[in-house]
Amino acid sequence: MGQSRRRPISQNLGCYGLLAPTFLLLAVFSVVPFVWAFTTSFYRYEIGGEATWVGLTNYIEYPQDPTCGISFRNLLFLTTFSVVVHVVFPLIVARLIFALSSERARYAYRIIFLVPIVVPGVAVLMIWRGLVYGDNGIVNELLRLVGLAEVARGWLSDPNTVLWAVACVGFPFASGINILIYYAGLTAIPESVHEAAELDGASGLGKFFRIDLPLVLSQVKLLVILTVIGAVQGFQGMFILTRGQPGFESMVPGLWMYFNAFSFQRMGYACAIGVILFLIILVLTVLNLKYFKSAEDMTAAAT
Amino acid sequence: MLKARHIPLAIILAVGVWALWPPSDDEATVRLGSGPARAGSDKAARPYQLRVAPGLYLPGTMPQSVGKPLKGLLEVAEKFEQLYDDTHIEFVGSPGVREWLVTQLSAGTAPDILNVNVENVWQDVQKGWYVPLDAYLEQPSPFARPGEPGSKQWWDVFKYQAITRGKAAPDGKSYCISYDMVETGIFYNKDVFDKLGLRPPKDWAEFLDGQQRLREAGYIPLIVHVQNATDWGVDLVFDQLYYPILGGIDLRKDPTREAYLAGYLDWDEICYLYGKGFFTRQDPRWRELWRILKDWRRYWGKDLSTEDMMRLFVTEKGAMYWSASWVVQKLARDPDIPFRWGIFYLPPIPPSVSPYSGGHEMCVIGGAAVQYVVTNSAFKDTGDPATSERLKRAIAFLQFLTAPENADLVTNEVLSMLPNVRGVEPHPELKPFDEFLKRRYTTTKWWFTFDMRFNEIFLRMCDLYLNDGIAEEPYLEWTEKNLDFAVETTLRRKKVDLEALDRAWRQLAPLRAGVKGLPDGAK
Repeated sequence: MGQSRRRPISQNLGCYGLLAPTFLLLAVFSVVPFVWAFTTSFYRYEIGGEATWVGLTNYIEYPQDPTCGISFRNLLFLTTFSVVVHVVFPLIVARLIFALSSERARYAYRIIFLVPIVVPGVAVLMIWRGLVYGDNGIVNELLRLVGLAEVARGWLSDPNTVLWAVACVGFPFASGINILIYYAGLTAIPESVHEAAELDGASGLGKFFRIDLPLVLSQVKLLVILTVIGAVQGFQGMFILTRGQPGFESMVPGLWMYFNAFSFQRMGYACAIGVILFLIILVLTVLNLKYFKSAEDMTAAAT
Repeated sequence: MLKARHIPLAIILAVGVWALWPPSDDEATVRLGSGPARAGSDKAARPYQLRVAPGLYLPGTMPQSVGKPLKGLLEVAEKFEQLYDDTHIEFVGSPGVREWLVTQLSAGTAPDILNVNVENVWQDVQKGWYVPLDAYLEQPSPFARPGEPGSKQWWDVFKYQAITRGKAAPDGKSYCISYDMVETGIFYNKDVFDKLGLRPPKDWAEFLDGQQRLREAGYIPLIVHVQNATDWGVDLVFDQLYYPILGGIDLRKDPTREAYLAGYLDWDEICYLYGKGFFTRQDPRWRELWRILKDWRRYWGKDLSTEDMMRLFVTEKGAMYWSASWVVQKLARDPDIPFRWGIFYLPPIPPSVSPYSGGHEMCVIGGAAVQYVVTNSAFKDTGDPATSERLKRAIAFLQFLTAPENADLVTNEVLSMLPNVRGVEPHPELKPFDEFLKRRYTTTKWWFTFDMRFNEIFLRMCDLYLNDGIAEEPYLEWTEKNLDFAVETTLRRKKVDLEALDRAWRQLAPLRAGVKGLPDGAK
């Protein structure tokens, strides 16, 4: 395969000009803050106060922080749970929709499953809190109604249930973009592949596992990366539902970063936690890209 | 072309537009407060536009969701604007969270005057975000009539002098005026108490016994939020256990604050005492504090974090509610409260319950409620408080607020707080709290001793401990780790003079002689 000849920059000035504003905005709002955060992580800096160079002190302190161990344990649980449910459930739903014979029905179901994404995330969290919260939550009232009063509890304030109560936000996990991504992947599978599989006797679950799943692996890969990034970075759910309580039973590193930055005014330390999270996401993404092979990757490797 | 199926949609849209249509100016004023001056109006052209975040008294709001929207402060502001025709007062809400406060102040965009717990201010006084008010408090108030309180010094208008002056920061300066007072108390359902033959308890043993009987009768004996339990509960029990030995551990006398805070243990004393083994696992009083709280917790509600404690009380699921005077607004003005209610204060812990308690009267932990501070925004016209005309207007507005007729209009519009201005009487329903406030103030307030990091960990771990999420030994280890960090940070940031404290410690040795149950390092 021959290499395409490079065209001189002068011939593409218009394209570069069109790209420049986007690049500039990205630099100002994404790159500069990152560089600032990275630099600040080497200082002891309090908002409104002076900055003192402390080198790697903040990075050394975090592993010794009493919240560190439990935060990462929670993060591991929540990320694993999130990856499993947000990758598996939408795939099942997408496959079921894809299996419908009526194009009109497929369209209707796609819309139905997509509609919930217009509800703001904060509203979803508040509704969930109303469902599982304290003495008057709907879940507890239902439990009392069916004679299971002893099971009723403050689901978000009980150390034994808080992590599950937080993880289950969005139950049954089958809405939004993930279904559409899978659906697009499924529709991209050539009809001839399905016909060939049926001629070879594949059907039902066998066809799903041997044909559909391998051919949507690139979508799975994308969703795994997005879900991992979202789970590691995200703390807004925890902030709204529990603020990491009771104790630190639902604390995650991102939330502790927020508290340090804006409540405790330990901006340097918060930046160090942020950089550590960035490195974790980077490593996980690289590992995913390197070792998680989609059908296209395998085909490309074979040829 | 309009079809029949479009009609319901059109109706829904029309109803939606009607419901969301902005109210007229008059309605908006009542509902939302003063709001910014409209462009083109007389007030918009005035050179001094002061923003005030008045906390509880924000015009247009309805505290505890009962009564009418507040308007007292609006009336006061309008009178002030007539006196100062170059100034407009705009009232704004504030989230009341530290994150918001810090970011606003660091950006220089905070309201000129705002209500904030002054202990939060103490954390940041070295940053120049707040204006010390001493110089103004020591001058006459221009709104005090000759011969009346305030005509010599603005200080004199305040009714609870000791509490108000006790709000001076550890650097000795006063950054706030205490506009009103709050105190905690236990609200109880009189009907339930009468039915079970209970009465307000005389001591801790009777208190626990009554709670046991309430539980057996199917009630939640005591409704309390975990934040209050960790803030108020810890301080009150701490005082019961440490007050008997206070003479031997009170290392610093502060003449400015001694009038109200006699014997109060400040953060520097707590740091020093911690180094001597107090507040660690070696300290039997410290262990006793947590034992008493844990023992008491069995009578509290199942969920200590629910946001709707009041509902449990008014629906008579709970027989007692540990809260503060702000609850009176709801209980006294809500016509749907179906029972008679009363208030009592926590009883003392006798030596029969704890060998470390002296059995003395429970102290109080409330005090100043709405505390107005003046921020760096108030002198942004010149950047220098000494030359700022804008700052003069802000101070004048605060002085105007403390004129008796204005304080009455504002504070007594809500049945929540006790007015802190001489000549203004509280509502009769709030009188019990006035009596409580005559008691001695707490030995210390852990919630305001160290920084926000300490508080956050303190609250969380206490919550976990009280909810059986962690055993006593690891819990105490956590509190030590938390104190280690807080003490180290405080010593570094505040440059505490440990030598002076050490001298005081040696001088007080005779008072500690013979005291039982001191940690090893303190013997």
